[in-house]
Amino acid sequence: MSADLSAPAPHTVTTEAPGRTSVPAAREPASTARLAAPAAVAQASDRSARIVIVAIPLAWHAAIGLPAVLAARAEFTAPAVVLGAWAVAAVAGAVAGVRLLRGKPLPPWPLAGLLLTVDVAVFAAVGEDQLFTAANWVWSTLGWFFLLALWGRRVVGVIALLSTHAAIALLAVLAHGPDPADVARYVMYVYGTFSLPVAVFVGGATIVSLARERAAVSAAGHVIAAERDAAERGRRDRRDRLALVSSTAGRVLGELAAGQADPDDPEVQRRCVLAAARLRRLIAESDDVPDPLLHELRAAADLAERSGLPIDLVTIGTPPPLPVEIRRRLADPLTGVLADARDWARLTVVSGPDEVVVSLVTPDREGPDATGPPPVEHDDGQVEHLYERDGSIRWAQTQWRR
Amino acid sequence: MGADPVAAVTGDRPIGVAIVDDHPVVVEGVRAWLATEPRLTVLATGDDPDEVLRTAPDADVVLLDLRLHGRMALDKLTELSAAGRRVVVYSEHTDPPTMLAALDAGAVAFLAKHEGREHCVATVLAAASDRPYVPPALAGAMVGDPRPDRPMLSDKEREALLLWFQSMSKASVARRMQISEHTVKQYVDRARIKYTRAGRPAATKSALLARAIEDGLVRPEEIGIYRSHATHDRPTP
Repeated sequence: MSADLSAPAPHTVTTEAPGRTSVPAAREPASTARLAAPAAVAQASDRSARIVIVAIPLAWHAAIGLPAVLAARAEFTAPAVVLGAWAVAAVAGAVAGVRLLRGKPLPPWPLAGLLLTVDVAVFAAVGEDQLFTAANWVWSTLGWFFLLALWGRRVVGVIALLSTHAAIALLAVLAHGPDPADVARYVMYVYGTFSLPVAVFVGGATIVSLARERAAVSAAGHVIAAERDAAERGRRDRRDRLALVSSTAGRVLGELAAGQADPDDPEVQRRCVLAAARLRRLIAESDDVPDPLLHELRAAADLAERSGLPIDLVTIGTPPPLPVEIRRRLADPLTGVLADARDWARLTVVSGPDEVVVSLVTPDREGPDATGPPPVEHDDGQVEHLYERDGSIRWAQTQWRR
Repeated sequence: MGADPVAAVTGDRPIGVAIVDDHPVVVEGVRAWLATEPRLTVLATGDDPDEVLRTAPDADVVLLDLRLHGRMALDKLTELSAAGRRVVVYSEHTDPPTMLAALDAGAVAFLAKHEGREHCVATVLAAASDRPYVPPALAGAMVGDPRPDRPMLSDKEREALLLWFQSMSKASVARRMQISEHTVKQYVDRARIKYTRAGRPAATKSALLARAIEDGLVRPEEIGIYRSHATHDRPTP
């Protein structure tokens, strides 16, 4: 019946290890069918950012770095070192890129170390003439490789690498003699190599983080909607049951309170017994048990027994799962007869996969029925209701067929 | 034990009953119930079936508590039934599978301990003449039998069993079905006879079936493929 609103919120997991990201740890609810879509949006947006982070350095390295290096190869101090370093960076970048796209990035710091070694080698081998040209490929390209190495980590790491890169370049510039013009050019280069990669890194991370937040918010919305549905259903169930009870218990209690009903009147007593039985059954109805029909009948039998009626409840077979409406129609007519019963009662349930027959037999007494058999509220052929008296027994039977 | 253990109980000789139960108070209670019927005489009582039957080898009916000293005596039941002993099982274990297992093992009848004197006397009398008697609890077990190889019962037989189980009054069942009490009993007994085909063959089942055919209760073809074990015991009409 009603959902337990005090139940804990759906299990949440953080998607990244602590300390590995600059973005707030996204809360992604555990995978349920309804929550899969927002999580997929977050994943897709993370993947797009990775493609950009992999594509920029590799494209730059191949399209701008390589032609410049080849064109100026005769003018390097040590051309083999510059070309070799280019190849090392290309291979390392390609491997790191593939691994990142597959979600299994290379260990960042060894990769960063390799890149810085390449950096030092190229600055040493490139020579004074080519220091500020495109042939010194490390200056403009290496910053992008740093992003590739450190994607998904804090921006501080990228800044630290870029700063080291700038320091190496400064040493190279100063090594060739401190020319004020060179220093000015150096400052411009540093500005250029710093600003763009950092902007892309921060921008990409922010987009991914926003997408994750959006996914989390959307998932939380679904959870709230589901809880609201459950609460609404629970409220409706309670209201329906209350309406059922009010029709019997409410009326008789009201009449007793107003003095219109006499507690000594057997008819009033019978109505009270009936209302109590119905209340007991409605309480049993909301219990979560394996055999709800038997549980509800047992509740009725318990109540009758406690009012001093010896009652036998014999069950054969296990009833199939039945909707609450069918169970009510099977049990309610018998509850009415049980309220009238004296001396003894025999309640039997015979169940098969396609049929359930419930029967109540009690001794017949002189005189007419106090109220007659309970009215049959529905008759769609699914539940049959029989009631008869033959002078020796009263016999009520309800039968459900699939 | 006599040479022909399932020989019909004849003439004016009282029917000898042996009671096997490990609760003396139950033995005394059942003895008192049976004493109200002059045609019955209790020959021996005790808690060991073999010992009791050594004392009373001519007992016509054995009333056997299915649970002896904490264990189910189904194997003993099978052994006695195969030897042609008419065993009426009476037990407080009235779950349908146990009751059906007792019938399969060859018990002539199954009586729930709470079913009282009337059913007890009637069951023993019927058993002595190889006639079926179906108390209400057993009727319930038969009508709710979920086993795929259960005997095929007719609609009337099922209805009679169900109503008998519900009301415990054949007169009320008769009024409800608008037939005579005798016919109600016939439907119920016929259903019981069909159960002689369930489980392993036993001399007692053959005797029940043979007597039912003799009485005109069933025709052999109604029981399905009729492999007569009864012919070894007695000629069929």
